[in-house]
Amino acid sequence: MISKITDTLREKRPYLMSLFLSILAALLIGAVLMIITGYNPVEGYAAMIKGAFGSSRVFGNTMAKMLTLCLTGLAMAVGSQAGMFNVGGEGQLFLGGLAATMTAVYLQGVSPFIAVPLAFISAAVAGGIYAWIPAMLKVKLNVSEVITTIMLNSVAIYLCTYLTNSSGPLRTHDRGVMAGTDAVPKDFMFEQVISRSNLSTAIIYSAVIAFLCWYVMKKTSVGLEMKITGENERFAFFSGLSKDKIMIGAMVASGVICGLVGMFEVFGYQQRFLPSISNEFYFDGMLVAMIMNYSPLGIILMSFFFAVIDIGANAMELSIGISGELSEIIFSIIIFLMAAEGGISKAVQDRRARKKARAHLREEAVQ
Amino acid sequence: MRCAFFLAKGGKTLQESIVRFDNISMQFPGVLANDKVSFDIKKGEVFALVGENGAGKSTLMNILYGIHEPTDGAVYINGHKVEKFSPKEAIAMGVGMVHQHFMLVPSFTVAQNIVMSKEPRRMGIFYDLKEANRETERLVREYGLEVEPEAKVGEISVGLQQRVEILKTLYRGADILILDEPTAVLTPQETEELFAVIRRIVKEKQMTVIIITHKLYEVMNISDRVGVMRRGELVGVEETKNVDERILASMMVGREVLFDHIEKTGEPGEVKIKADNLYVTDNRGLLAVSGVSLEVKAGEVLGIAAIEGNGQSELIEALTGIRPVQRGSFYICGAKADGMNPGQIRKLGAAHIPEDRVATGVSLKSTITENLIVGKEKLPAFSKYKLHLKQSSIARYAREVAEKFDIRGGGVDIKTEDLSGGNMQKVVVAREFSFDTPVLIVAQPTRGVDIGAIEFIHKQIIDKRNQGCAILLVSADLDEIFRLSDRIITMFEGRVTGEFKSGEIDKMEISYYMTGHRDGEGGENDK
Amino acid sequence: MSQLSEVFNIGLLQNTLRTATPVILAAMGGLLTEQAGIMNIGMDGMILVGAFVAVAFSYLCASAAMGVLMAVLSGILIGIFFAVFVVKLRSDEFIIGMALNTFAAGLTVYLLRSIFGVKGTFSDAAIVSLPTVHIGFLENIPVLGPLLNDNSIFVYITWLLVFLTWLFLYRTPYGFWLRASGEHPESLETAGISAHKMKFIASILCGIFCGFAGAHLSLGYLTMFSEGMSNSRGFIAFACVIFGMANPPKVFLAALLFGFLQALGLRLQSVGVPADITSTIPYLATVLMLIYIVVSTDRKKKNKAKKQLERI
Repeated sequence: MISKITDTLREKRPYLMSLFLSILAALLIGAVLMIITGYNPVEGYAAMIKGAFGSSRVFGNTMAKMLTLCLTGLAMAVGSQAGMFNVGGEGQLFLGGLAATMTAVYLQGVSPFIAVPLAFISAAVAGGIYAWIPAMLKVKLNVSEVITTIMLNSVAIYLCTYLTNSSGPLRTHDRGVMAGTDAVPKDFMFEQVISRSNLSTAIIYSAVIAFLCWYVMKKTSVGLEMKITGENERFAFFSGLSKDKIMIGAMVASGVICGLVGMFEVFGYQQRFLPSISNEFYFDGMLVAMIMNYSPLGIILMSFFFAVIDIGANAMELSIGISGELSEIIFSIIIFLMAAEGGISKAVQDRRARKKARAHLREEAVQ
Repeated sequence: MRCAFFLAKGGKTLQESIVRFDNISMQFPGVLANDKVSFDIKKGEVFALVGENGAGKSTLMNILYGIHEPTDGAVYINGHKVEKFSPKEAIAMGVGMVHQHFMLVPSFTVAQNIVMSKEPRRMGIFYDLKEANRETERLVREYGLEVEPEAKVGEISVGLQQRVEILKTLYRGADILILDEPTAVLTPQETEELFAVIRRIVKEKQMTVIIITHKLYEVMNISDRVGVMRRGELVGVEETKNVDERILASMMVGREVLFDHIEKTGEPGEVKIKADNLYVTDNRGLLAVSGVSLEVKAGEVLGIAAIEGNGQSELIEALTGIRPVQRGSFYICGAKADGMNPGQIRKLGAAHIPEDRVATGVSLKSTITENLIVGKEKLPAFSKYKLHLKQSSIARYAREVAEKFDIRGGGVDIKTEDLSGGNMQKVVVAREFSFDTPVLIVAQPTRGVDIGAIEFIHKQIIDKRNQGCAILLVSADLDEIFRLSDRIITMFEGRVTGEFKSGEIDKMEISYYMTGHRDGEGGENDK
Repeated sequence: MSQLSEVFNIGLLQNTLRTATPVILAAMGGLLTEQAGIMNIGMDGMILVGAFVAVAFSYLCASAAMGVLMAVLSGILIGIFFAVFVVKLRSDEFIIGMALNTFAAGLTVYLLRSIFGVKGTFSDAAIVSLPTVHIGFLENIPVLGPLLNDNSIFVYITWLLVFLTWLFLYRTPYGFWLRASGEHPESLETAGISAHKMKFIASILCGIFCGFAGAHLSLGYLTMFSEGMSNSRGFIAFACVIFGMANPPKVFLAALLFGFLQALGLRLQSVGVPADITSTIPYLATVLMLIYIVVSTDRKKKNKAKKQLERI
């Protein structure tokens, strides 16, 4: 078992090295940025660490953030394993969150053992259907799912905003609440795992979903079929795989996960569905997934790092005034560096192979 | 015809060399495409470069045109050493190339394609579109290559597109014209017209033409000298009048008989593949297969001999379910199979080797193991409840198969893209043959594969035949067709033009049928 | 009736021009990269940086021209940056586009806070806005007069740029090369012109256009910068490019149409139709347009096959 792990590590060493260096370089660039703008980077990063780990409450928030990033990242990975680029997770998240919330609101007074599962189902269905539409368009008509999902994101967000903002039909009538739906009844809400933090029993559901994603993607025949379809659709079709079903299924699964993330946001701590439910959470998850090359285990690990930076940066802003947006800058720099490294290392390899071949030929000529 | 050709050649003296290849070697990842090639091309001659697929002809010409920089060696054009390899430099030195896959922008007009990169301008920056049309008309008149300047390139025929390519090089003032497999996509009529043009520009404009081909009768017809390449090396350069097709063929393949005889046993059984008056369209929606009927019995190999682009690819894609059938029907193991998808056809008992292994036959980023298991992943041997993969039995199976099919390259857990062409093809053959189906549809089984792998794959195919498989074989390699087939049909422009028992016909004769010449009549199908 | 005239009047058209202008500018840039074969979804970030830089330098140098100039310069830099990744290093254009958006959003807010010490919105009397243009003789013409007069100078520049973009793409050799680099790069390469170079140029031009768009956004009518002020205009511009099939006049009309819908949405609010609903129209329209393009080309092919079979 251990030898297997070391084998895997050795095989992935170049990748892990470049990942490590990219992160290091991004943090350094972040530090330089802090210096340029007149802050002490040591102080800054210390505040960031403290902000992410300083108390059980903030650690709970970090963990809650990690769950969101991890699930959205996995949603991206599930789709892309089958070659479906789901950029529409944000919209699916909105619709899933709203559907679950409204289900709970309408079922007020019903036993939570009935209402909560129904909320789960409605979140999954809402997210799933909203992913099914672009999936069908892709499979049946070959309309690029990247473009349609980008477009459908905005549609869903505007729609949910309309429904729940100050004059929308689903708006709460609670006093003193400016926007959003009615609150989810207390007994339907997930239990807090760490009090006063955002971390709820959603961690259990998330763990189950994450495990399922990893298991299906890596250990099953379905995962293999997804991989083959994602890498060479024509080959998959030629080999007799039901590539249409696989592609649609993967996209819908991705949408279902996003829908559930929306539900977890509300049922975990927000209580109401607000038009501001997600601040591009899905896009952060996408970044995580892309950096980790859509590897499920990698996404789980990297989402923790991202969560630390994200939550830490917010705390840093409050404590010493450095803008919390530094986290976004660091994230995107990691991506740029990883992307650049991928390209550069390939070019270097080609040149090396060429030089080697030339030297080899010369040797032969001499002999 | 021949007479005119000799006359055209007679009046001219061949003198100084215009192109010199000096010890050229080209190493691609895993393939040594050119191996210390040296020869001269003389001004004003038609030089034919022949060799089988993968012999390194195109690579060498791509070096001359500056697309590749050679790993070693030097190229001299008009006595000047080429220092910088780029098409721009090559064009400046008077080299023009018509690629096998045309380098034309489909949405641009004929004239716009011809003048590209040297557009006539107004006021320094504006494109003079009218002048471009006039320039084109001028070229058309000068060289007698009739094209419509304002037609969109994407909407004209392949033969006309080739003319546009030639005009493009002439417009740039090329005096060395490289034609890469120019007749592969042409009808015989168009081929004759092309040859007439070549003769004219050589005679009237003192151009030098290098023509890459593997059709020997064309070499005899058009060239002054011929260079033969085999597996990256130059075998020899000869005056065309001093050789004949038989000599060239033996130079190309190395020996007269390259392979051992493979024992064929057994008698044909019942019909396993039956196509009835099939019509299939190509990617552009044009008819590629027009009314093809055929039958393949258990225990026999039916070879389809055809020049590329005559509908054989579309026919195979239809029979494997990748391409829809427009009219007619076909049967696999007695069951009507048209309208089925590839998965359903496989269930009827067919396995396929696709003609393009990289595009259709493997997933490059997946491991060899994964590629070997595709299509079998839900068998009880490899997964529990059709879901949970049994990793250890899969690994064991992959190792066994890799050994049986001699897949070399560093274990079964490496990515398939890291394999050589031959080993990659063996992965495809291994997967498809181990389905143990009664029907095999095999396209270009040894394209771009080394000799050792060819021998191995041929043996596997004949083994399958002897075990009672019905095998439909398509290959661009006539030797392969002759070696493996029990019966051969020829196709031309989407129709069957002849049917023969193996041994009834030789290569020369069959190539007449492959080009649509058939005892004085058109290509009407008689079945 | 009175409600109708409240919605449909000159003001609506004026608003259309205003809302459409930054989108048109960005879309002109986007269609250049699209024609060069690059799917550019990083325009939102490019606009955002342009908007920030324009405000910053207009404030620091007390000159709107300086703001615009620096916005364009930043656009050039971002265009080069984008092209280095997408063209030179062959990174996935989608990933880089997304990362660029995130980077721009992060960087502008970070700098806003660090340099100007504000969060959310930076607005100051010292920021010089772009001049408006008043054309005397238009005054007496009804409808056109008020519509075409007193717009920000950028509105007029934008129209000119649309024409110049068309001229560049369809009437200069460079435009042909740029289009060839997207449609069939090998044919350009074998003609001796680097397709990479043309893609670089497309990216840089796109950066410039987005810089203009950003400058117009922050200096045109509002003279302020606020967090995320591009407000998905980069994506709307992308939608316009797809909708208009990357053809300048068509993309221009698409952007005008989308601008009209947005302006209409704001006005319809007063008669009870929510703006959030009308805002979805451009996105839905783009999806429908995509479906239409695919279905119609498919049908053409099928008809062709059918005709041939009938001839047999």
